[in-house]
Amino acid sequence: MLIELRDVTKMYKRDTLEVSVLDRVTMSVDEGQFLALMGPSGSGKSTLLNLLAGIDQPTSGSIRIAGAEIAGLSERQLAGWRAQHVGFIFQLYNLIPVLTAFENVELPLLLTSLSKKQRRDHVMTALDIVGLHDRSGHYPRQLSGGQEQRVAIARAIVTDPTLLLADEPTGDLDAKSGQDILTLLQRLNTEFRKTIIMVTHDPHAAERATRVLHLEKGTFVAA
Amino acid sequence: MKFLALIFKSARRSKRRTALTALSVAIAVFLFASLRAVLDGFNAGAAGSSSTRIITIRSTSLIFAMPSSHANAIRGVDGVRDLSWANWFGGIYKDPQNFFAQFAVDAESYLRLYPEILLTPDEKQAFLDDRTGCVVGDGLARTYGFKVGDRIVLQVGIPIYGTQDFTFTVRGIYRAGGTAVDNQSMMFHWKYADERAIEKGQIGWFVEEIDNPDRSAAIALAIDEKFTNTPYETKTNTEQQFMASFASMFGNLNLLLGSIAFAVVVTTLFVAANTMAMSVRERTTEIAVMRTLGFPSQTIFFFIAGEGMLISLLGGVLGAGLAVLLVNGERLGITGGFVPAFGVSPRNALTGLAISAGIGLVAGLVPATLASRLKIVDALRRVA
Repeated sequence: MLIELRDVTKMYKRDTLEVSVLDRVTMSVDEGQFLALMGPSGSGKSTLLNLLAGIDQPTSGSIRIAGAEIAGLSERQLAGWRAQHVGFIFQLYNLIPVLTAFENVELPLLLTSLSKKQRRDHVMTALDIVGLHDRSGHYPRQLSGGQEQRVAIARAIVTDPTLLLADEPTGDLDAKSGQDILTLLQRLNTEFRKTIIMVTHDPHAAERATRVLHLEKGTFVAA
Repeated sequence: MKFLALIFKSARRSKRRTALTALSVAIAVFLFASLRAVLDGFNAGAAGSSSTRIITIRSTSLIFAMPSSHANAIRGVDGVRDLSWANWFGGIYKDPQNFFAQFAVDAESYLRLYPEILLTPDEKQAFLDDRTGCVVGDGLARTYGFKVGDRIVLQVGIPIYGTQDFTFTVRGIYRAGGTAVDNQSMMFHWKYADERAIEKGQIGWFVEEIDNPDRSAAIALAIDEKFTNTPYETKTNTEQQFMASFASMFGNLNLLLGSIAFAVVVTTLFVAANTMAMSVRERTTEIAVMRTLGFPSQTIFFFIAGEGMLISLLGGVLGAGLAVLLVNGERLGITGGFVPAFGVSPRNALTGLAISAGIGLVAGLVPATLASRLKIVDALRRVA
C-alpha cells in the first residue's frame, strides 16, 4: 500500500465560523493505481489532493505515504518530501513564463545534487516521454494549451516521484488536447507504473482511471 | 550558481521596470559618490596640510587684507623660520563662468615653503625671472589647454586691482605633490599685482614655516600678540585649521551634503522597495508553484532578496562607474577647480556599491519575507 489516510479531518476557519471540508476521511491507494477523485464543487476533493501533496496540513488524522507520516512534518521537511515524492499537475499548467520548456522542466532538478549534464539528460527524457523533445527551447507563450500541459507533466515526472497528483488536468483544455493529456497520464500509469491521483469533474476523464472515488460534503460516497 | 541564472531570468521579466529601478539606484549612487568627492576634496586639503606651516590672516575675516609691514614683525617672532605671503586675485578668464583660483604670491619664498608645488628647475627659474610670468596646475592646463609660453589675460575681478586687464605668460605647469596644494590653480608674482593695486602693500595671508610643530600654538599666539590693539589684528592658525575654516566659509558642508545624499538614498530605497513588492505580488502563483515543487521558503527568500540585490547592484555599478568617469574627468565641472584633490576615490565608489547593495537588500527584505511565508494553498486558490 502506497497511501493510507486514516480519519483525516480538515477544518477551515472563516471569521468565527469553523467549516469542515473533510470529515474523518479514510482511504488507501496501492502502488501503480490510477485513481480518479470525483465530486461536486466544494466536496473537498482539491483539499484532499492538497493534503496528499503535502501543501496543506490536516486538522486531525494520519496521512502515510510511502511509509512516511507526513501529517506532522514541518514546513521545511514537507518541502524536501514534496521535492522527492510528489509530481503536481495544475489545471492552469502554471509554467514560469520567463523560462523555456527545458528550464521549466529542469526547475525541480535544481533542488537535487545532479550535475548539469545529468539534469539535461533527465529533462530531455521527460520531454521525450511527453512528445515535446523538439519544443525544449520554446517559452510557454509559444506553446498551445495542450503543449503547456505536457510540459507541466514533464516537470511533474522529471524527478521520478513516488506519486503524481493532477488537479483537473484537462479542465482548461479543448476536447482533443484533453484526450491527449489523459492518454499520456494513462501511459505513465501503465507503461511507467506511476501512481496517479487525479481530481476531475469529467466522468469521461474518470473512465480512464483504474479506480474512481466520489466525495460529497467531505466524505466518500458510493457512486 | 544554478540559482543565479534563475534570478537573472526573473530580473529580466519586466525589462523596463528593472531598468528604471536600476537607474534610480544609479542616480542615488552617482549623487552620493559626487557629493562625497566634494567633501573629501575639502577635507583632503586639511588632512594633507603641513604641520610646520602656520597661516596668519586678519582677525576679522580672510577677505580683509593687512599691510605688508606685518612681514617684518612676524619674522621677528621666535620660532618662525621662514615666511611667505599671498593674495586672492579673483580675476576673470574670458568669461565669469571660467572660474579657477588665482593667487598673487611672493614667488621665491612661496615655492620654498610649498615644496609640494612641483616644477622642473628650468620652469621654476623661468617663472622667477619673469615679472609677468605665471605657473598653472596641470589640471587647470588640461581644462583650458594652457601650454608653456601661452598668454593668459585676466580681467580684474576685485576693484582694488584697478580696471586694466592683466596679461601673464605661462612659464611652468606644476604638479601637486600633496593634497595641501591643488592642481587647478594659477600663481603669479605678488609684486606684479601690487604695482597696479590702488592701495599698495596689501597682503591676504602670510604663511610661516615654524621650527617646531609642537610649539605651533605658542608661536601663533606670539604672532597675533604682535598686532593686538592695532587696526590690523591677526588670527594665526595651523594650516589644517586654515583649510578647515576655508571650507567652513560655505557653511556646514558635511551636514548639508550628507543630508542631501541621505534623502536621495532613502527615496531610492522606497522606490526600489515598491518595485520589488509589485514584482512579488504579480508572481504570487509562480512562488506558490515553486513551493509546491519543493523549493524551501528559505530558497524563495534568497530568490526575491537576490533579485532585489541584483537590480540594485546593477544600478550601483552604473552610478559608481558614471561618477568615476564624469566626476574624475571633471567633465561636469562641478567645482570649477575650486576644491583641491577633487575626485571619486575607489573607497567612495565601493561605498556607493555597498549602499546600492544595502538598498537592494532592504528593499527586497519585506517582499522576500512575505513571499517565503506565503501559504501555498491560499496563493494557488487566489488565482484558480
